[in-house]
Amino acid sequence: MSIERRAVSNERRAVSRKQWLRICSVACLLAGPAAVAQEIPTYAPPPAMPADMAKLPHVVLMSMGGTIASRGDTRLNITNYGGKGAPRVDPQHWVTDLPELKGIASITLEDQRAPQDRPTGSETHEDFARVAKRLNELAADPGVDGIVVTHGTNTMAETAYYMSLVVKTDKPVVFVGSQRPWTGLSGDGPRNLYDAVRVAASKEARGKGVLHCMDQFINTARDVDKTSAYRVDTFKGVDVGAIGFADPDKVVFYREPVRRHTSGSEFAGKDFQSLPAVEVAFAYRDAPGYLIDAMVEHGVKGIVVEGTGAGSPTGSETEAIKRAQEKGVVVVATARTNSGRVQDTPRRREAKIVPGDNLVPEKARILLQLALTQTSDLAEIQRIFTEY
Amino acid sequence: MSKLFVALALSSLFVAYQARADVDLPGVALFTTGGTIQSKGAHRQKLMEYSDGRVTPQELLDDLPELQGIAKIDVTEISNIGSGGMNTALQLKLAKAINAALAKPGVTGAVVTHGTATLEETAYFLNLVVKSDKPVVLVGAMRPFTAVSRDGPFNLYNAVRVATSPQAKGMGVLIMLNDEINAARDTTKSNTYRMETFVARDLGPLGYADSDRIVFYRRPLYRHTTKSEFDVGALDDLPRVDVTYAYQESDGVAIDAFVAAGARGVVLTGSNADAVKKGQTKGVVFVQSDRKGAGRVVESARQMERGIVTSDNLPPQKARVLLRLALTRTTDLKEIQRMFNEY
Repeated sequence: MSIERRAVSNERRAVSRKQWLRICSVACLLAGPAAVAQEIPTYAPPPAMPADMAKLPHVVLMSMGGTIASRGDTRLNITNYGGKGAPRVDPQHWVTDLPELKGIASITLEDQRAPQDRPTGSETHEDFARVAKRLNELAADPGVDGIVVTHGTNTMAETAYYMSLVVKTDKPVVFVGSQRPWTGLSGDGPRNLYDAVRVAASKEARGKGVLHCMDQFINTARDVDKTSAYRVDTFKGVDVGAIGFADPDKVVFYREPVRRHTSGSEFAGKDFQSLPAVEVAFAYRDAPGYLIDAMVEHGVKGIVVEGTGAGSPTGSETEAIKRAQEKGVVVVATARTNSGRVQDTPRRREAKIVPGDNLVPEKARILLQLALTQTSDLAEIQRIFTEY
Repeated sequence: MSKLFVALALSSLFVAYQARADVDLPGVALFTTGGTIQSKGAHRQKLMEYSDGRVTPQELLDDLPELQGIAKIDVTEISNIGSGGMNTALQLKLAKAINAALAKPGVTGAVVTHGTATLEETAYFLNLVVKSDKPVVLVGAMRPFTAVSRDGPFNLYNAVRVATSPQAKGMGVLIMLNDEINAARDTTKSNTYRMETFVARDLGPLGYADSDRIVFYRRPLYRHTTKSEFDVGALDDLPRVDVTYAYQESDGVAIDAFVAAGARGVVLTGSNADAVKKGQTKGVVFVQSDRKGAGRVVESARQMERGIVTSDNLPPQKARVLLRLALTRTTDLKEIQRMFNEY
């Protein structure tokens, strides 16, 4: 099997073996024999193996979990799957269920899931930092051609954007997930996973930053956003669209991103064990400023305002922003419209509010956190928001 | 009301500030071809059937004095027609004029006014034959010159801004309406009357002409302008290529007729195996496109067996533009398929 065939450091092997033992014991305790993904036809003949396996690109398939790594009790359960007591899909199960993967890449598996007893949606910066460090290591390994990371879809865009700023590489790093669990009828996971590996294995994906591939669309980490709670076409490059497709005949790119990322990022390759606290304040009619005051009392270094229209906070929030700025807190404006740019206007300059360009608030937060690790100068932070 | 006043005061300050910086303004070659942006209606509320006079290039400039603050404009009138009347002769004249203008060192970029109905075809044609990395920006309007809340002036102002923007260099031919900077290859008119009509389905715009600055998020990767192998410098016509529309029970009558009329290529949106085979025996090249308006026609062994070139994600009207240029160089199917994969 190709998993162990590649030269990997002893340390890496040891870690992954340890993880394997843990996974296997957990899986056996909870699940008994693992259920096979039910929507994958089993009658199809296995694909022909390429004559020279050694020439296949080496792709590391890293699991950060997600719906794609979840099981439901029935095929029709596509909303209430996973959780405590439900066995997860281990990385090995993907490869077993999708033997076609062996025809397109030499795959090494890596498990970076949070412990199963931790509730969903509770990734912490610890997870970010651990995975970022590991991605930087893998990217520096000359034996690795590309990396696929599975992730839950809810916050996948945030994790992908963070990685696009801190991973120093030109190799493809492709985030993938699914809207339906691995066991769901007409589940999107298997095709998404297969396509993500194809993209990670493609030469064309090099230098395009951290990518996202689901529903056959290839999007950039910076611009992709989850736009629908349950539909399988949920991920869109908001405003600026996809940059390519994973189509049946080939992986094809029409665009490359212009904003700085990965090897072009000034944050790349650094190990951020912690980041300055930055919170998001949502604006709505009568939104009070005391929530912003509370953020400042809790010691935030930055606040991202998710403003109405073109990025406007309410009157009460505006007063609170002034109080926050007096204490050295940096304020960035984004728009709750989820589309369009917050512009650099004379009035906003006077108010010392940095325009967040077209970043969604949760991504502006990540960029501001990273910016604050090296400066609190507003002109410099403005530069960073213009370039990334 | 007071907010409006402040906005007006600010914008006039903005204009005044820009007008002062008149030293060494970039040169922009403006080519006018007509279209709604140069059309007049009988009254201000008239948004259709506006055929009550044409707007001359000078009227366009007089209408927009703010342009003098951002560029030195040199106007050439190519035509003053609706885009339904755009033809090969005019397109070739336009392409040659643009190439001549952009070869001058004092010219930073070119702007072309055009009717919106076929604007995307001219834009893609220019994307393949302009021999410069200087910006070429096509602009139009959805509402006539005479209409209340017309979009033309700001579109034209933004087009000139983009044509002078260093960031727009090397991006290929661009389309500028509705504040959005779109790529000629990927953009299509998607709505009969709305002002956000130009969209690059799936792929989105390259950037925006916003009040604070011109901003780009994307760079197109398919070959264009300086990387294009096509040259119309010595041509005064292009091979005839037609398009068939597919629907239930559509038969080969149209294909037969196109072939009989001398078409050297036909773009298909469906399949009519017999008519295609007949055409192929006469040396006609067939390209498979699709009528959906988004998504790729993928390369497949079956299409190759049938000797049909696949159009990638070009809509039929643009597959026609590329096939006409391809046929100026070759009739080899593999070579034409390569072109459809690269442009």
